[in-house]
Amino acid sequence: MAMPSIVRTAPAPEGVDATPLREEAARFGRYLVGATPSDELAERYARAHGHVLRDPPTPADEAILAFAREHPWSLPLLDAGTALVGSAPLLRRKLLVMTAVLEATPEHADRMLAGNTSLPRLVLRLGRAGAAAAVKLLVGAALVAAVTREARRGPGKRAGRAGRGRQ
Amino acid sequence: MTAADERADAIVVGSGPSAVNAAYPLVEAGLRVRMLDVGHRDTTYARLIPDGPFTALRRTDREQHRYLLGDGFEGIGFDHIGAGAQLTPPRQYVFRDADRLQPTSSSTFFPLHSLAEGGLGGAWGAGSPPFSEVDLAGLPISYRELAGHYETVAERIGISGTRDDLLPFLGAQIAMQPPVAIDSNGESILRRYASHRRALQRDGLYLGHPRLAMLSRAHRGREANRCWDMDFWSDEGKSVYRPRWTLDELRRSAGFSFVARRLVRSFAERPDGTVTVEATDLDTGATESHRARALVLAAGTLGTTRIALRSLGAYHRRVPLVCNPHAYLALLNVGLLGRPVRDARHSMAQVCIVHAPAGPDRPFTVGHLYSYRSLMLFRLVKDSPLPVPESIAILRDLSPSFAVLILQHGDQPTPAKHCALEPRPGGDDHLAIEYSLSSEEQQRHEDVERAVARGLRRLRCLRLRTIRPGHAASVHYAGTLPMSAHDDELTTDRDGRLARTRGVYVADGSVFPSLPSKGLTFTMMANADRIGSRLARVLR
Repeated sequence: MAMPSIVRTAPAPEGVDATPLREEAARFGRYLVGATPSDELAERYARAHGHVLRDPPTPADEAILAFAREHPWSLPLLDAGTALVGSAPLLRRKLLVMTAVLEATPEHADRMLAGNTSLPRLVLRLGRAGAAAAVKLLVGAALVAAVTREARRGPGKRAGRAGRGRQ
Repeated sequence: MTAADERADAIVVGSGPSAVNAAYPLVEAGLRVRMLDVGHRDTTYARLIPDGPFTALRRTDREQHRYLLGDGFEGIGFDHIGAGAQLTPPRQYVFRDADRLQPTSSSTFFPLHSLAEGGLGGAWGAGSPPFSEVDLAGLPISYRELAGHYETVAERIGISGTRDDLLPFLGAQIAMQPPVAIDSNGESILRRYASHRRALQRDGLYLGHPRLAMLSRAHRGREANRCWDMDFWSDEGKSVYRPRWTLDELRRSAGFSFVARRLVRSFAERPDGTVTVEATDLDTGATESHRARALVLAAGTLGTTRIALRSLGAYHRRVPLVCNPHAYLALLNVGLLGRPVRDARHSMAQVCIVHAPAGPDRPFTVGHLYSYRSLMLFRLVKDSPLPVPESIAILRDLSPSFAVLILQHGDQPTPAKHCALEPRPGGDDHLAIEYSLSSEEQQRHEDVERAVARGLRRLRCLRLRTIRPGHAASVHYAGTLPMSAHDDELTTDRDGRLARTRGVYVADGSVFPSLPSKGLTFTMMANADRIGSRLARVLR
């Protein structure tokens, strides 16, 4: 069992181009709360990323992230798929970091703070969220499996298949 | 080596709950007391947090990300839930540098220890039930000897609670304020308990208000809890007891001095009857020597043990170690779904639960129930198997009905639980810890957890999952220098005096040979007050 890391005192690595992370923050913000986050929040996401997500991505992570970049429509499905399957956790962790950044702002407080909801309304909202989640989970799990399967095949095998296709 | 200033009557090592309560009677007796500790403080976050309720700050404060997430984003983590999992960034200074300056090694036990001013009391849960005669079995002191010190410490730190169904288990307390009002979650559970009391008690389950070192009325310059739900983040108003409130009182006395940035390494007794303490000045690296007529070690069980073993040259010697095993039961209070909940609340335990099928005169299990309110939602989303937006929506609606029951099991010494000081190359040393539970112990714990979960179902609280946060998660460590009626090496006598020494006393958890299910801290403070009082009579 790894040592619990309570106090993180080392600074984030310097010299890393944060532009891709700021663009990522914008995509994630639109997905999570339906709005492009401010430059300040995008920058905060990039800094948080540097502190919290330092482990190198696995091949499966890279494949999932690349697919999500190239096909923005797939982000909800990949989120659901990786949550269910548990492999390639980096996308999920990135989304959680962005969630934390958004949550710690006055603009999104009401979205995250518990409120008083009547039982019928609660049942309706839970039902709606649950149904949406179920569809995404089914499709997402299949998509994650397909994307990571391609990643496991590797570039050599994919080139070989492409060569055979040209014959 | 440089000499520190004039000789003290007593040196106290540490500044946590036991240290300040051992020092207090010594200072009251007019003795010169010098306290040595590293003494970290929160120099970053406390000043950032505005006054106001948690929900109001969330809606208005543009700088909230600094203390909610941390400047180094230390509030965001993906580790397995373990010791200190609930610590917010403003509380994490409590553990700064402890691993680096007091290294331990283990494959099964990852302790939290503190070099902060106020010690672990800077982040504790404030649970303060006294031990009973049954809990003190095996010690050479009785409840009667501690009773007066419980009252003294209760007045000093401020305890709130009430006489309810838990009275036979938590004991009577004269110096007790009324309880701070519990939240809607706790209220609904206690209301249902009242309707099913007889059946639940037949099954050995009792519920009531917890005993907390938290004020419901102003006391000794501290305010009553404002029910702003900020207790995990801020100490504004000082309603929850922190040892540094007592340290501030001690500082007002001319005979008391607190020397910070000092890591105590060892002690040695001199032929003239005095004790010298060797400490490293962490700012300069210089070694200092402090001398006094008596030494009180109260640096926390692991810190004190390290100093004692090093000073006595007891390398490779195994000493026992006990620690309360914890289980976290994540619960959904179904009976609260769709009902309005109050915003005004305190953050500490709302309900105390006792599982005692054999009654109060046999060992029983105590749990404290917390609502999940003033913590961040993303921490729940992390464990959700659903897409993030749907997780947010669902958990936001369900979170008022969430609760976490922290069940604390007792612990007895066994051959599988011990630590030893081992030298390392370069002159340093580390504490090597071995700790494991037998299959019988684990089975006993699981049986209790199942019984408690069954009872909670009757109260319409469904168990969602059980989390085992790891052996050291309770941060209640004891047993390394146990109190004994025999003058065996590496034990302490009934006055806390370390065996084979003349003037070295131990006043923290090290002296308790076993741990009942109840939290140790209040009893540790009462015992420290007792040891300090007895030492004051000797030194005067």
